[in-house]
Amino acid sequence: MTLAALPAGEAARRMADAGLSLRLPPITVRLRSPLPAFAAQIAALYADSEVADSAEYADVDLRLEPVRGLRRPHRVHVQFVVDGVTPFESFPVAHALPMFEWGLNWIFSHRMHDHLLLHAAAVARDGRALLLPAWPGSGKSTLAASLMCRGWRLLSDEFGVVSLADGRVQPFVRPAGLKNASIDVMRAFAPSAFIGPLFAATRKGDVAHLRADAASVRRGAEPAEAAAIVFPDFQAGEPVTVRPLEPSTAFLKLAGNAFNYEVVGEQGFRAVTSLVRRAPAHILRYGDLAQAHAAIDDLLRMEARA
Amino acid sequence: MTLPPDSAAAVADPAGSEPRWRVPAGQRFVFEDFDDGIVMFDALVGSTHLVSATAAEALAIVEETPDLTADAIYRRLLARAGMTEAALPFAAVRELLWQLENLDLLAARTR
Repeated sequence: MTLAALPAGEAARRMADAGLSLRLPPITVRLRSPLPAFAAQIAALYADSEVADSAEYADVDLRLEPVRGLRRPHRVHVQFVVDGVTPFESFPVAHALPMFEWGLNWIFSHRMHDHLLLHAAAVARDGRALLLPAWPGSGKSTLAASLMCRGWRLLSDEFGVVSLADGRVQPFVRPAGLKNASIDVMRAFAPSAFIGPLFAATRKGDVAHLRADAASVRRGAEPAEAAAIVFPDFQAGEPVTVRPLEPSTAFLKLAGNAFNYEVVGEQGFRAVTSLVRRAPAHILRYGDLAQAHAAIDDLLRMEARA
Repeated sequence: MTLPPDSAAAVADPAGSEPRWRVPAGQRFVFEDFDDGIVMFDALVGSTHLVSATAAEALAIVEETPDLTADAIYRRLLARAGMTEAALPFAAVRELLWQLENLDLLAARTR
């Protein structure tokens, strides 16, 4: 059953009680919080995700709890508690959703060491995955979200989850995090896409979340073969350019980009080697989403012919 | 410069003052040769390096045969790469070995 299929108010009731368990392949997250506004945001942004029985085993047990601010006790903050531990300082209570999203990213990057975790967005079409590795501010989430709105399957806007066993790219489908100017860019680019509330002046600026489409969520456990690697480099006003990367340069960029390359050791070296040998790498500089899409289509067409 | 053959190395260095080269204990290298460069994984510490073909060959030689002098490594390098002494000067290889030592990829030992 999907979250959207639960009776009205049921998600909030579960979150306030035994927990709302969401299947977000490859993990299951049990989420508890008494905050009704936060529960409503989760219900809207994860509407198509599968709900598991709250009593089932969950890989991650999360609580977002209201607390009083230490310096300003009259202000209510929210605390992120994972498996009984509070790894972060509290956030203003209105920023519970961004805290959940960033916290879950943090947990994923610290635990999922049976995969090479690239700091990358990933999308797929016809079973072929396009990896978009980049540091924050390079436009990878916006580019991935825009590709999803044009028919690509979203795998993740934050992680290139590469199996150490077979090198395939695993989805970790969640809402795409949009920041600052990219929020209005996506509102204009895809007016029918569901974008959640705007969280102004968070630690990363203004933030909103674009819901993953139902098709991407439904196929959330279906991996794809890595077909191409594109390092996005958004530069406002710049014309689109595509530059091929030599394999050894692509290797070092990917290894340096991964969250856990040093943790997974030689397996990570072999995973990056396999990626670079199978998927040609390019740098895509762009200032316009439609032009970037056209360049990506051309690139994949040429690679398919080659 | 003409170098003595391997068997004469000890005679050329009777006091054993020339450093002998080996990989640190527990060290293991994994090489991947891409068309444009060689990437090497240092399995002891988990670091990755982009290395030249000469460096990769030198590391492989020392890994295969520990305790060679720089001269002996040099001769094997020339033979493997099919290069002349003019194309690959001995001084460059000696400098390379010390650079690899600085990266803790090789260790030098004087008897």
